[in-house]
Amino acid sequence: MQSAAAPATGDGDIHALLQDGAHTQAFARLLERYETKVYRLCCALMRDRTQAQDVAQESLVRIWKALPGYDGRASLSTWIYAITRNRCLTAIGRRRDFAPIEDEHLEAEADAPQEPDDTRALLRGLVDTLPERYRRVLTLFYYDDRSVSEVADMLSMPEGTVKTLLFRARALLAEQLKRRGLFDARAWLGASS
Amino acid sequence: MRALDAALAAALEPPALPVGFRARLDAALDALEESRLGTGRRAARAVALEREHRERLAELEAGYLRLRRRTLGTLIGGAFAAGAAVALAMPWLQAVFGPNTPLALAGAGAFAGLVLIGASVGIGRGGIAALRLFR
Repeated sequence: MQSAAAPATGDGDIHALLQDGAHTQAFARLLERYETKVYRLCCALMRDRTQAQDVAQESLVRIWKALPGYDGRASLSTWIYAITRNRCLTAIGRRRDFAPIEDEHLEAEADAPQEPDDTRALLRGLVDTLPERYRRVLTLFYYDDRSVSEVADMLSMPEGTVKTLLFRARALLAEQLKRRGLFDARAWLGASS
Repeated sequence: MRALDAALAAALEPPALPVGFRARLDAALDALEESRLGTGRRAARAVALEREHRERLAELEAGYLRLRRRTLGTLIGGAFAAGAAVALAMPWLQAVFGPNTPLALAGAGAFAGLVLIGASVGIGRGGIAALRLFR
């Protein structure tokens, strides 16, 4: 995998605090900036929000413990997201009821008829049936103000890959909506926004 | 696709941090610090115990050396005192034992030596209880 393109970050103040040995202040500043992003990354990876909350807590505790050893080789955001992703993957591995869902299986699920009352719920349901890597990219993209670079940093992917996955995810969704006779109803889609 | 984009943006609203998230995190961090302090206290206690152990060993070593010096001093002093006593008592011994004086001295010396050896063996076997017998 190519290295992820690091987004422009303004973490110089945190770096300065770390160099001065002010770890507590640096962590407080880090929390202000990354707490929500870490939680959202966990939500996108874990699917379950209760578990995402636990894993986000674990990740932040781990970040606090590892902060004195942060050497600045990777950007702070990349380092934080790497720790969070690792915690999520560990939690997913631990989850007994977690069964890795094959892409083909998901495609089949996407074909299953759904009749939710809420159009947003329908769309969310369709997103949930996307193959995992599409779902993660798409979810994070909309969670993080549609920033491709941020998603690339969070998932440690090149921006080009994120764009490709986004394109394919949207295409898959459009196909699903077409099958339901909804995609052409632009007014319907527009009304849901 | 723009309509789909807008619909997705509406459907996939970013989740807000749960209520009490920061409080829980603070509690977890406090517990971690407590645990670290506890580990620090245990480590400090271990260092103190090690130091105490070393000091006690050094004291024992010093006491043993003192005892050996004292024993050596007692032996040398005893030998000199015995020699001086014999030198002083020589005229009287010669008057009493006559030509058998060296034999009498050797006998007395052997007897005293045997008594001392017996006493030290008795102390070694009986320990402190045996020491009490000699008080």
